[in-house]
Amino acid sequence: MRDNERSAEFVAFVQARRSDLVRTAVLLCAGDEAHAEDLVQTTLTRLYLSWPRVQRADSPLAYSRRCLTHVFIDETRRAHRRRETSVAVPMDALGRDPADASPDLDLRALVLTALSSLAPRQRAVVVLRHWHDLDVDETARILGCRPGTVKSQTARALAHLREFLTTADHQLDLEVS
Amino acid sequence: MALNHDLKHALDVAAGDEPRPADPAADLARAQAAVRARSRRRFRLGVSALATAALVGAASVVVLDGSPTSPPSAAAAEVRLVAEQLDAEPYTFDLTPEGWSVQAQLPSAVTIAPDDGSTSDEPHDFRGKLVIIFDANPPTGRDVEHESRQFWVNENPDYTIISTRTRADEPSGVVSIQYPHNTGWEESAMIEFLASVHVGPGAQHGQG
Repeated sequence: MRDNERSAEFVAFVQARRSDLVRTAVLLCAGDEAHAEDLVQTTLTRLYLSWPRVQRADSPLAYSRRCLTHVFIDETRRAHRRRETSVAVPMDALGRDPADASPDLDLRALVLTALSSLAPRQRAVVVLRHWHDLDVDETARILGCRPGTVKSQTARALAHLREFLTTADHQLDLEVS
Repeated sequence: MALNHDLKHALDVAAGDEPRPADPAADLARAQAAVRARSRRRFRLGVSALATAALVGAASVVVLDGSPTSPPSAAAAEVRLVAEQLDAEPYTFDLTPEGWSVQAQLPSAVTIAPDDGSTSDEPHDFRGKLVIIFDANPPTGRDVEHESRQFWVNENPDYTIISTRTRADEPSGVVSIQYPHNTGWEESAMIEFLASVHVGPGAQHGQG
């Protein structure tokens, strides 16, 4: 494949799919938008380097989400990133002004704070299973673990989220379909 | 007041609004710079490996990665593992890739090539082949657990390396398999194959 063809396809992909990757990364990073942008940039570079695999994928978007999740998991293994994540304050990261408060902004801040209280892999499980609607086997394949691990991580993550969100301070009751 | 929210909706809100369309030029520039950097690394790796080969002869590794131009194996569509022992002293395998055979064996590495003649006869040209490597480098990559054993998967654009630590009764080190993406092997099969490797006492750590 010629470089200019690859570049043209890549540009079209970025125009169509970047926003999806950014939103996924924001959830994985629990609202740390700078970190999310870093992840997306790294992901897009990796995709370009292995563009023939993107082309061969049944769903280039699904492939790119998988790549993004791998980048996220890799990043969380690095000590400096873990340290940064552990002190991140999602409510502040959103940069929200109290004057702009709205039900959706409240909900967003609350959910991101709840996500930040999960371990990175549990957060990834929640995003893959309950936002991208992937099944257990596909989630396990992406995370490189057994389906049983996904099930147990999901159960623990949801229990934690419910507990976090239904405390007196938060008063939010999540329904998991 | 308690609110009821579907988790999917809550996550959708938390993901934020659609960001403004970004100029893809910056992403493209970064990606193209990465391609150039990779080309430089490959060139340096090739020069370094060739120099090593000149010094230590046939035991050296000349090419570690399958380039996009490497020919796809004719066996690509039908590769599978069968329960037969494969001997490559000091390594033995409980499983055998059907239609593949040991092409070269060293105390630090084994090269396994398809029988269809689609790859080079030169055992130090790893393109299109499976390579077992034994060294002391710490494993890196994505964690995968298989039969209570830890594996690390390191994906590259053209090939993947999967590593695991040797068993307690084997020489201490890390045994890895490198497989090219254009030969039809899946990660799960490669983990299974690597898990079947027994490292004998004659194994020696390779350089790298």
